[in-house]
Amino acid sequence: MISIDQSVMKTDMLDLENLTEEQTALEIRNLDLKYGDKQALFDVSMKIPKKKVTAFIGPSGCGKSTLLRCINRMNDLVDNCHIGGEIMLHGQNIYDKKVDVAALRRNVGMVFQRPNPFPKSIYENVVYGLRLQGVNNRRDLDDAAERSLRGAAIWDEVKDRLHDNAFGLSGGQQQRLVIARAIAIEPEVLLLDEPTSALDPISTLTIEELITDLKSKYTVVIVTHNMQQAARVSDQTAFMYMGELIEYADTNTIFTTPKKKKTEDYITGRYG
Amino acid sequence: MGKWFKSGSPWIWMTSGAVSVCLIAVLGLLLLIAWRGLSYFWPADIYQWEMKNQQGERYTLIGEVYDKEEVPTERLIAAGHKFATEVGENVTRYLVKTGNREFVGLDFRWILATDIISRSKPNDIAVIERSKNGDFYGYPVAIIEDGQRLTSQNIEADFESHIDRAVELNDQALDLQKGVIGSINYELENLRLKSRRYELDNALTDTRKAEIEAARVKLNAEYLLVEKEFFALKTAAGRDAVVIRDMRGEEVTLKLDSILDVTYANRLGVMGKIGNWFIGVGKFVSDDPREANTEGGVFPAIFGTVFMVMLMAVIVTPFGVIAAIYLHEYAKKGPVTKMIRIAVINLAGVPSIVYGVFGLGFFVYMFGGTLDQLFYPEALPAPTFGSPGVIWSALTLAILTLPVVIVSTEEGLSRIPSSVRQGSLALGATKAETLWRIIIPMASPAIMTGLILAVARAAGEVAPLMLVGVVKLAPTLPIDMNFPFVHLERKFMHLGFHIYDVGFQSPNVEAARPLVYATSFLLVSVIVALNLTAIGVRNHLREKYRSLEH
Repeated sequence: MISIDQSVMKTDMLDLENLTEEQTALEIRNLDLKYGDKQALFDVSMKIPKKKVTAFIGPSGCGKSTLLRCINRMNDLVDNCHIGGEIMLHGQNIYDKKVDVAALRRNVGMVFQRPNPFPKSIYENVVYGLRLQGVNNRRDLDDAAERSLRGAAIWDEVKDRLHDNAFGLSGGQQQRLVIARAIAIEPEVLLLDEPTSALDPISTLTIEELITDLKSKYTVVIVTHNMQQAARVSDQTAFMYMGELIEYADTNTIFTTPKKKKTEDYITGRYG
Repeated sequence: MGKWFKSGSPWIWMTSGAVSVCLIAVLGLLLLIAWRGLSYFWPADIYQWEMKNQQGERYTLIGEVYDKEEVPTERLIAAGHKFATEVGENVTRYLVKTGNREFVGLDFRWILATDIISRSKPNDIAVIERSKNGDFYGYPVAIIEDGQRLTSQNIEADFESHIDRAVELNDQALDLQKGVIGSINYELENLRLKSRRYELDNALTDTRKAEIEAARVKLNAEYLLVEKEFFALKTAAGRDAVVIRDMRGEEVTLKLDSILDVTYANRLGVMGKIGNWFIGVGKFVSDDPREANTEGGVFPAIFGTVFMVMLMAVIVTPFGVIAAIYLHEYAKKGPVTKMIRIAVINLAGVPSIVYGVFGLGFFVYMFGGTLDQLFYPEALPAPTFGSPGVIWSALTLAILTLPVVIVSTEEGLSRIPSSVRQGSLALGATKAETLWRIIIPMASPAIMTGLILAVARAAGEVAPLMLVGVVKLAPTLPIDMNFPFVHLERKFMHLGFHIYDVGFQSPNVEAARPLVYATSFLLVSVIVALNLTAIGVRNHLREKYRSLEH
């Protein structure tokens, strides 16, 4: 059985070390990050493939969320944060001085751990990013709202109450609404920072199904505490430990035949 | 006992006791001023006393009882009072308002119960409210119409119809004076200023001179016409008079143009008194003051207070909010920001009169004086903005209340979860866009809280205003029908100052005391009304941005 499975996987597997320009969504090169004197990331380098789900796993405080936040420069908001190295998107370093951070974030959307809808109606939440870009045409906004809400698999639940306050939704619905909000501006990359850690199992399942759907259009990077989740939804997995990227490979490989001792210890539950 | 202490009950009793004391204090205060203030408008019974003085002379008094107290007999004897018969340890003394100020000298007097022979409550006594010299009590005897004594039998009906006529004519005259005559004067003054302005610019050519002169002549002609009409109305209003027998038994003639109203207080039933009470309250809040503020209403003071407070709110809110946003969102966290914040909070502790002095020196003299030199040189040396006025009062109070707004806005900003900010930033919003679209709306309930506190503080502040704009009497409101309609340089009246003025600066303290209570109650009501409005708005906003309760 296993050998058949692996052969099936093989056809789908990417050579992560040598991705072509076409296949790469993002390239992280020798990334170092310091919070004040404390170094949080050590020389991380990896290539994230296009239209795949990449998971970051690792114990608490290993730097996986920090790494994720580097990709859309959310760490800029933290005082005393110093970053070395490069992250290349479309052949340009996003930490270049010339880069417009707002434009970058339009291109690299993010969903946070806890649902954070704005105190507005469901509709206004979804079209927020579009309004920022100056889109005010009612029809365009309506179309975008429906498309994104459908894309986030929540349209059927909210279509009759689009103008109700978003806080009337359940936690799982709010999280899907936030995903809809993120995809309404059509980013290339979608960063998910432990998107299901505050949700119940049923909502988690819905979101996981959604993530699998999303990769047809977007490059998804997900940080998760939950190894089963990583195994279920991701195509490749990066294991991080103490700020270092220990192992980065195809999800099946990581979970079945990890090369490093630390990875094996972690996924077999010896620490973490 | 020890067990009782351990149970914690004494603690509960102590805390609840403290709350009760606060409640009783507040309610007691409100009840006292409400009762004293509102009962002033209740039509009192008018008595007629037959009196006998120490020399045995008999006389009559008509009036209403204002106050009553017990005086030790010894003190009266020591003061030279002789009692014909044996009296007890104490003697009752009444404070009587006799009105008729121009005929009896004192319109308030104390009378001793021992001097009273009899007291009656005749139905025919009329209380006549006048525009000068206060109330008059007496029995109407006859109406004089155009110099002819009327012989009609129904004197009361005649009296009322003639008063109505006079009041109507007086009102017309007043409308004319405030309306047409007021605007003609305003335009004449503008013409004078215009010609002076040309003169200063060395641009007063002969054509312009002629133009201005022509306009002036036209306005003067108009003025003469209106003035004629005005005097005709005045004369017509003064045509009639009433003959009244007063408490001395003499018949006096009162011209009807100074009479506002007549009531027969002793005839009123409960419903009638309630009706008169409402009329009295209505006049108090809608009329202009008369007789050095001791009579009439307080409308200009209400208007001035509300207008000034609203102007202050309009000034302080944007300033406070912007300052708070800078301190909280943009300023680098460090010792300097901390120092600034402490300084701002301490500004709230500066005595308000100091703000008044600052306002006078900085706003009125420096700022206003400069404005005058730059924009109103034609009016100099008479100041336009260079003297106390409502705009300077609003600005001074805005500075006074700025700390309150800054502190509560900052608190509101810090309560907004960072996840919401990050959510907005992650969608490609800049910091400014996030502020405008998410943060400020979410902080708006806190901003409103700051505004509520600011309004409450500003509406009660009197001391600084005395330096920067409040006056005893300013019947011309800061808003009128003359272009540009809002006159921010004008002085204004304020309820707080009105209380002080009526209570302590008035020539007739006895008459003014109930007015002090009534005005205080009104001031409290105005502040409560302003606050309730703001609280209503805040609750609406809270409901809208309920997310913070998560």
